[in-house]
Amino acid sequence: MNPDSQVRPYPTRRTILKSAAVLSVPALGGCVTAGKESGETKAGGAEKTAENPLGVKADAPLEVVVFKGGYGDEYAVKAEATYQQKYPQAKIDHKGLQKVGEAMQPRFVAGTPPDVVDNTGAGRLDIATLVSANQVTDLADLLDAPSLDQPGKKVRDTLLPGVVDDGTFAGKTVALNFTYTVWGLWYSKSLFADRGWTYPKTWDEMVALCAEIKKAGVAPWTYQGKYPEYINDPLLSMAAKAGGADLVKAVDNLQPGAWKQDGLVQAATAFAELAGQGYLMSGSEALSHTEAQAAWCQKKAAFIPCGSWLEAEQKGVAPAGFDMVMGTVPARSSSDKLPVTAVQAASSESFLVPAKAKNAAGGQEYLRILFSKQSATAFAEANSTLPAVAGATDGLTLSSGLGSVRDAVTAAGSDTFTYRFRTWYAPLAKAVDDATGELVNKRISPADWSTRIQKAADAVAKDSSVTKFTR
Amino acid sequence: MKHGRWRFLLGALVPALVLHVVFVLSPYAQAFWLSLTDWTGVAGEAQFVGADNYVRLGGDSLFLDAVRNNALLLIVVPLVTIAIGLFLASMLRTSSPRLGQGYRIVYFFPQLLSLVVIAVLWGFVYNPNTGLLNSGLRAIGLGGLAHSWLAEPAFALIAVMAVLVWSSVGFYVVLFSAAIEGIPRELFEAALLDGAGKWATFFRVTLPLVRESVQVAFVYLGIAALDAFAVVQVMTVGPGGPDGATEVIGLSLYRTAFTYGKFGYASAMGVALFFATLTLAVLALRSGRKERLELA
Amino acid sequence: MTLLQTRPSVDAPAPVVIKRTNPLPGLAMFCWAVVTALPLLWAVISSFKTDDEILNSPWSLPASPQWDNWARAWTAASIGRYFLNSLIVVGSALVLTMLLGSLVAYALARYEFRGNRAIYYTFVAAMFFPVFLALVPLFFVVQQLGLLGTYAGLILVYTAYAVPFTVFFLHSFFRTLPSEIAEAAFLDGCSHGAVFFRVMLPLARPGLVAVGIFNFLGLWNQYLLPLVLNPDPDRYVLAQGLAALSVSQGYRSDWSGLFAGLTIAMLPVLIAYVAFQRHIRAGMTAGAVK
Repeated sequence: MNPDSQVRPYPTRRTILKSAAVLSVPALGGCVTAGKESGETKAGGAEKTAENPLGVKADAPLEVVVFKGGYGDEYAVKAEATYQQKYPQAKIDHKGLQKVGEAMQPRFVAGTPPDVVDNTGAGRLDIATLVSANQVTDLADLLDAPSLDQPGKKVRDTLLPGVVDDGTFAGKTVALNFTYTVWGLWYSKSLFADRGWTYPKTWDEMVALCAEIKKAGVAPWTYQGKYPEYINDPLLSMAAKAGGADLVKAVDNLQPGAWKQDGLVQAATAFAELAGQGYLMSGSEALSHTEAQAAWCQKKAAFIPCGSWLEAEQKGVAPAGFDMVMGTVPARSSSDKLPVTAVQAASSESFLVPAKAKNAAGGQEYLRILFSKQSATAFAEANSTLPAVAGATDGLTLSSGLGSVRDAVTAAGSDTFTYRFRTWYAPLAKAVDDATGELVNKRISPADWSTRIQKAADAVAKDSSVTKFTR
Repeated sequence: MKHGRWRFLLGALVPALVLHVVFVLSPYAQAFWLSLTDWTGVAGEAQFVGADNYVRLGGDSLFLDAVRNNALLLIVVPLVTIAIGLFLASMLRTSSPRLGQGYRIVYFFPQLLSLVVIAVLWGFVYNPNTGLLNSGLRAIGLGGLAHSWLAEPAFALIAVMAVLVWSSVGFYVVLFSAAIEGIPRELFEAALLDGAGKWATFFRVTLPLVRESVQVAFVYLGIAALDAFAVVQVMTVGPGGPDGATEVIGLSLYRTAFTYGKFGYASAMGVALFFATLTLAVLALRSGRKERLELA
Repeated sequence: MTLLQTRPSVDAPAPVVIKRTNPLPGLAMFCWAVVTALPLLWAVISSFKTDDEILNSPWSLPASPQWDNWARAWTAASIGRYFLNSLIVVGSALVLTMLLGSLVAYALARYEFRGNRAIYYTFVAAMFFPVFLALVPLFFVVQQLGLLGTYAGLILVYTAYAVPFTVFFLHSFFRTLPSEIAEAAFLDGCSHGAVFFRVMLPLARPGLVAVGIFNFLGLWNQYLLPLVLNPDPDRYVLAQGLAALSVSQGYRSDWSGLFAGLTIAMLPVLIAYVAFQRHIRAGMTAGAVK
């Protein structure tokens, strides 16, 4: 139950062992559709006022179910206390669970779900199934309600870019994710300061710096070779910056020739060169994430690609004064569609309000409290993790890693992107991982790389047994 | 008495039979049906698709990699294991009893360990930079032979095979030495008197008389080689990599079912594996039967 | 495998000692012993080293033994809990398997009735089916019974998959037992159950011990079934827990702790083996060659 197993929003090796549990859930679909009823059992009905924009009935009981994983459930309990202060008559029932799906599935089927569910962790409910069975509340009212502690702003406007999209299915926002993950390249600030190295803004600078690093007797890069998806992230980030949102969309929508786009081929060429010049630490290709990251912490390599969970994961491994920071992936060329500050980002820790909740208004009000700046700030302080609320970490003294992540998010502004094909089409993700693994081991050329993946993408597109998504 | 007999029989058989039918027979039977559907785990949505899944298997390059790798494992692992096992067993015959006993105990150790434990351990042994193997090679000046064992396509499957052989040799040494000890001493003495050398004795006396044990070994090792799931899943890059170099049918099936949620397709892989195992068992037992007829 | 004949036990001390001049056999045997023992020894030694020593000098001895690694593995890495889970699941499944398996084997071996052969082959055939074939439907069967991720579910499935071998093994064993004693007991007025439990079961003790040891090893080292049927980290069994630590969770890059965990998983079995090795090898020979 360490936090990183929940942070990474798309299925990875970390979830593969657990996926048996995740899959226990789709069976819900059949049952729920069968038991559909249109009875109005909601406790809403109180008048909507400025103080009570969601029309919460003050004495209606509230039941909150939270995933109690790496972040604990203290933060959720705090938000409940605030709710209690506001509605002293409400009786609040709190449950912190490890297996949310298993406990909630029968209650959804029976039509007696709680008012808020933190649908996270191994064995969570499949959100697409819940949506198609009309089991979740549209959170539009909540998004348009005024923020609890940021006057003049709607809840919608207090969230980091992409958060609303991440919870939107078939045009309806049904879930709000509470934590925020970004991907980039990590390095030791102290090491770079000692050696007089500067983090590169462009790929040409990167290549030049790599030559210098190598001369100094340090391997420029290492990566978590046992799981090639890690080295994919900077490659695909570079491509996204070059080609912009259109490139990402084409890839996710399985458009013909999407993987032959120049941005992707150029990014693949860049990484092939990195490998070809011998800038990847030898042996990296067989190292697990812990082994590669430990070698990096021992300063055997200068850069490592990873998501923002890295700092928490390396607690106790990184030596004192290592001061790890995350930089954004350098720009491939000056004609990139996105600025170099753009980052790959996605949110997780997914909160939803069941459609059949007795106190759906209260559930949304609870989320309004949870997603307030004050609550998010407390969460960031306790868990060294970036919450999905913009500016939540302002004014806090952050560790070097989290601080750099926050700065990257601030600098990116609205220039964030995320690929969805990994969650939508897992077999394609595997094909991409395998191809990239071969690419950075110099066994295939960038052209082969794009041809191979295009073939895999076309096969998925042609396969009528695969449910397609578009964005 | 009659009444008590039936009551006893029912009591003895029914609980085990119920378990057997519910947890063993019904899943096997269902697998055949599922393999003809496109079931994704959503209740009530299994649609009959006929042989589609099987057709798809033929065009699934990763699955074909898996079949190729399993076939290689099936040939190499039993042969090498049995060769080493027979060799050591016949060496043990002529060693001092005390020493032989000690060796047998040590040889058997890996057999006692979970394949997971073995795979985790060997993952460390194979680590390119800090592993036992490469640092050992470097220490004795053979650094040139050091490889990224699990990440180079040329070595990854061999590395997996080596682990499987390592883990099973001990069992067969003990099995074969028991069989060799069952051979009447006079036969060896007669061979010696005939002036037969060590190799001649081995091929003319030992091997023919432990043939049955060797056949058993082939079946057991064959079944193990068709599996290899735990070692591959825990130890290899990817897992199953690099780029499918160590993919095995079990891993493909597991991923297809529990990561991709394609249960119908995964079941088709299971059925394919079933027929492979069945063929193997039939072939082995057939040759066994022929052998018996010849002896009779 | 029924085609093959029983071999005498290993314990018959009959090696022919030939005068040797060739050092090669001795060398070969020694080499294989080293190849076998070295990685295991290495794991044990590494479990006493610091992370730094493991990463930087894999062949050296620990400067000072780090007992703390073991304590950390046992508690922080939950090896202790996994160990306990394994004990609960394997212990219960073993008792159940031995009880049901010996009952079935005895009933089929000593009673004639219609369908006897059919039932026997139904059990024995399952030994040759790859578990992978059953994996997917089994997952849903267990789920629908509400047993997914429970001890009970795992125990019942373990039992169901261990009974066929037990029946196969004990069937021939019960067949060879003399019938006079059972007949005498019947004449004394014993019920069928009493004859089984008081007379036949004690007679079959050597066979029960052998098959019990086999089942224990098989179940203790089971990985695939818990991987699919036991997704709750709190209920992980040892093999599953170790795989999760090394593959999926990363366990905070604590190699020394992982090596200690490996050692904790290995040692009890190895020690039990050295203590019982006579029984095991006798049983194995009887079982495998039968």
